[in-house]
Amino acid sequence: MKGHSLGNASRDASLDAALAAAVDALRKAPGVRYGEVRFVGDVREQLRVRDGRPEVATTATSRGVAIRVLGTRTWGFACTSDVTERGLISAAMDAVRVARASDAIASRAALFPERDAQVGTYDTDVAVDPFDVPIEQKLAALDAPVRALRTGDKRLHSAEAWMEWTRVHKRLVTTEGTDTRQSFTYGACGMHVFAVNDAGDSQRRSYPTWHGGDGFQAGYERIGALDLMGNVDRVKDEALALLSAPRCPEGARDLVLESSQVGLQVHESCGHPTELDRVMGSEISLAGGSFMQPELLGKLRYGSPLVNLVADATTAGGNGTFGWDDEGVPAGKRPLIEGGLFVDYLSSRETAAALGRESTGTMRADGWNRTPLIRMVNVSLEPGADMTTLEDLVADTKDGVYMATDKSWSIDDLRLDFQFSCEIAWEIKNGRRTRILRDPFYTGITPEFWRSCDAIAGKNEWRLWGITSCGKGDPIQTMHVGHGASPARFRNVTIGNTAGTK
Amino acid sequence: MKAVELLSLCKDALAAAGEREVEVFARASDRGFARFAGGELGQHMQLVEPQATVRVAHGTRLAEATTNLLTRDALVLAIRDAARRARLVPETEGFPGFAAQDEPTGESPPRFAASTAECTAEERVALLAPVLGSVRDAGLVSAGMLETTRVAQAVATTRGCARAHDATLASFKVWALETPGAGGAAGFGGHVHRDVGALDLAAQTERAIRIAKMSRGATSLDAGSYDVVMEPEAVSELLEWLGVIAFGAPEVEQGTSPVAGRKGEHVTGAAITIHEDPLDASDLGLAAPFDREGVWRRRVTVVERGVAREVVYDRTYAARMNSRSTGSAMQPDFGSSGGVGLTALSLEGGTAASVEELIAGIDRGLYVCRLHYVNGLLEPRRAVMTGLTRDGLFLIEKGKIKRPVGNMRFTDSFLEGLARVDGMTRARTAVPTWWSANGACVVPALRMRAFRFNGKSQDPLR
Repeated sequence: MKGHSLGNASRDASLDAALAAAVDALRKAPGVRYGEVRFVGDVREQLRVRDGRPEVATTATSRGVAIRVLGTRTWGFACTSDVTERGLISAAMDAVRVARASDAIASRAALFPERDAQVGTYDTDVAVDPFDVPIEQKLAALDAPVRALRTGDKRLHSAEAWMEWTRVHKRLVTTEGTDTRQSFTYGACGMHVFAVNDAGDSQRRSYPTWHGGDGFQAGYERIGALDLMGNVDRVKDEALALLSAPRCPEGARDLVLESSQVGLQVHESCGHPTELDRVMGSEISLAGGSFMQPELLGKLRYGSPLVNLVADATTAGGNGTFGWDDEGVPAGKRPLIEGGLFVDYLSSRETAAALGRESTGTMRADGWNRTPLIRMVNVSLEPGADMTTLEDLVADTKDGVYMATDKSWSIDDLRLDFQFSCEIAWEIKNGRRTRILRDPFYTGITPEFWRSCDAIAGKNEWRLWGITSCGKGDPIQTMHVGHGASPARFRNVTIGNTAGTK
Repeated sequence: MKAVELLSLCKDALAAAGEREVEVFARASDRGFARFAGGELGQHMQLVEPQATVRVAHGTRLAEATTNLLTRDALVLAIRDAARRARLVPETEGFPGFAAQDEPTGESPPRFAASTAECTAEERVALLAPVLGSVRDAGLVSAGMLETTRVAQAVATTRGCARAHDATLASFKVWALETPGAGGAAGFGGHVHRDVGALDLAAQTERAIRIAKMSRGATSLDAGSYDVVMEPEAVSELLEWLGVIAFGAPEVEQGTSPVAGRKGEHVTGAAITIHEDPLDASDLGLAAPFDREGVWRRRVTVVERGVAREVVYDRTYAARMNSRSTGSAMQPDFGSSGGVGLTALSLEGGTAASVEELIAGIDRGLYVCRLHYVNGLLEPRRAVMTGLTRDGLFLIEKGKIKRPVGNMRFTDSFLEGLARVDGMTRARTAVPTWWSANGACVVPALRMRAFRFNGKSQDPLR
């Protein structure tokens, strides 16, 4: 690693001693049922080139230790950037004090079943370390497509390309004896162009998807495979075509969604509502609750029999892939929706215990100064069983619309009523993609929508997307999460355009 | 850490690093955060958020580095790292250099309260005990949070600009709910102030309980256009998004802003005047008086009686667009490099004495307490936004609240909707923004004609 010292958790003897001392102090503190001490050191590089100039060229490093304590009945959390033994013990005692203070108004004790200790390591598989690639090389890789995106037509008003790299070292030690060391390397890269006509109308077109949905867990080797330059002409052509395209019609149509849009649909309408802390009301102060209540578990026909959604923290290269969560639960692969039936939650040790279940291992925190929350891992739609392609879905659609690349997203506080607009749509007539349509959106009710899914493209079209900044919690935390999806078709969906025209 | 100590640290690092063109922005927050849900205090946190971001320039080549270690050595290391990379990056067109000693200054508005800065975990628990008790006694379930935060921030540059500012934030949000997380009747109350002692927790809790009780037995309503009265919490959600898409120089330069190329034109109704007002010296003001570049902020009128006026700039955008910085360089953090933005949007109020007076002017319409998951990226040039109602939606008939209705989705242009506003309260409320430290919108309740709801009412307990 270049630049600042992060305090790599895998080889820092003084840090080892301080962490051990903090855990020991927690074990000895009266009334402490459980304690976890989590070191996080991270470095992030953000680069963004806009219209031929570097808009952002920044690195950020951070390191510190989180202490979460379960007292007699209640939790306490404290943190420190002073990673000495004295600093950690002081923070540990702060966490104990906070837990004790909360006890005064608790009506019941938090459930938290014991688990076996976990010991081990996890590292992202990185072929080319992005932090070893010279900054000028990275900026050049962004500058070339930005310049190309703006050439050839004066309506190509503004273009951006971006790249972001994050490396996280995490060490978790707990009073149960867990000791895990993990190292993650996350990346994201993409570009977009804004076309503006003389009337002031503006249209955006992006590649590979919207900014923030283009993440992965891998090294710089992924950048070449993205082939930004190879997609410049198509992106420009589509942005320009959108300026004069007719608006998407309103009404009910068969809807084919491109893979990344299916991924976002999974994120908002399956990932979030199956977070068991939301279900139990813990996220009311920011994001809301969930319609997927425990009495529906094993009973709710969430989707059509084609719909299989899994929470898989082991998918290679996924933004939501890890070895252990921040409570020391090992990563696994578990179905959430099986054959259309709602079968499980994303859960923590405490929330799962409230339902008499085992944690599905999804507790993660955004850095050393945040408490862990239930976060999506890689929540993915399994591909169709055969080798169906996107073009097969289109060919099999008589009167429909194909939409691609998210533009806006909104869903209600129970995760039922959603509306997503996309950058671009194509009319489908008699099995053929015809004209481009502008300003499209589709809207629906989560289970009704997924029950209308009647075709999913095969694994040849399945792609793993990564969201870099899923927001949750109060104070807000952002998280890397993944979503795999193939293009899919949904019957009789309400579509429209932002102007509300027929 | 106090702001003057932070400033001293910044200056020491500048002197020790020996680079010619450097800016250091440093911030240290201590946040007490008590988050309750399901009637229990489930997450109680003592958070520290130290941060320093340095920028180093070689001519117009610019690089930035952030560290969370607030020591001289760490800052010097960050400066050297940024200096190394600044030699390698392309030029930033228009970069005018960092702020200098002669940068204008002004009087700091009141932003600090010792009671908040010194609030302990035990005191937060004591404040929340009656809140949880009141909601429980009403047969409802409580959720929400109480935050007490102390923030110190400082800016120093090698050109002699030096700034320091101490602030506090006390923020309270409370819900009274029919079910913990499954929907149903809900009511919200909230209050933000620099002084935790000034928070009216009892009144806001009573409001949440009252709205939740009023919301019981909600029924369905068809999609369509409705005259609406929006509470400040709903107005602020829309105004926040307008700030994101409309009034920043980058969006204007990019051509995506609804006011791009329209300065001096009517962009909304004559009743509407919007400012970015970071120096608001009243109890509603929360923003810092200078930005991350050390530029003293000022009131910027972005819409005056419906006409597009100024937009906000940092130093580089101002230089490139032949204007002056408005002190609107956003504070960077570990997930963002800042950019240009607004943190103190203010919508001027009207003459109505109360929300009830606004409701009295509606024959058939909706009373909207809050909005949820608003998104303003649908068609930014028209400020088209979508979102849903939350925590209280009521049918108004013949000037009175008739009955609760299930939540509904709207999709409409906010700027075009503002042109249909024909009433606002004189009283205004500060509503915290969720993306920036110590940021808030200050807004009245308003009455808007023919707001477009494109989704029919949900079954509240589906």
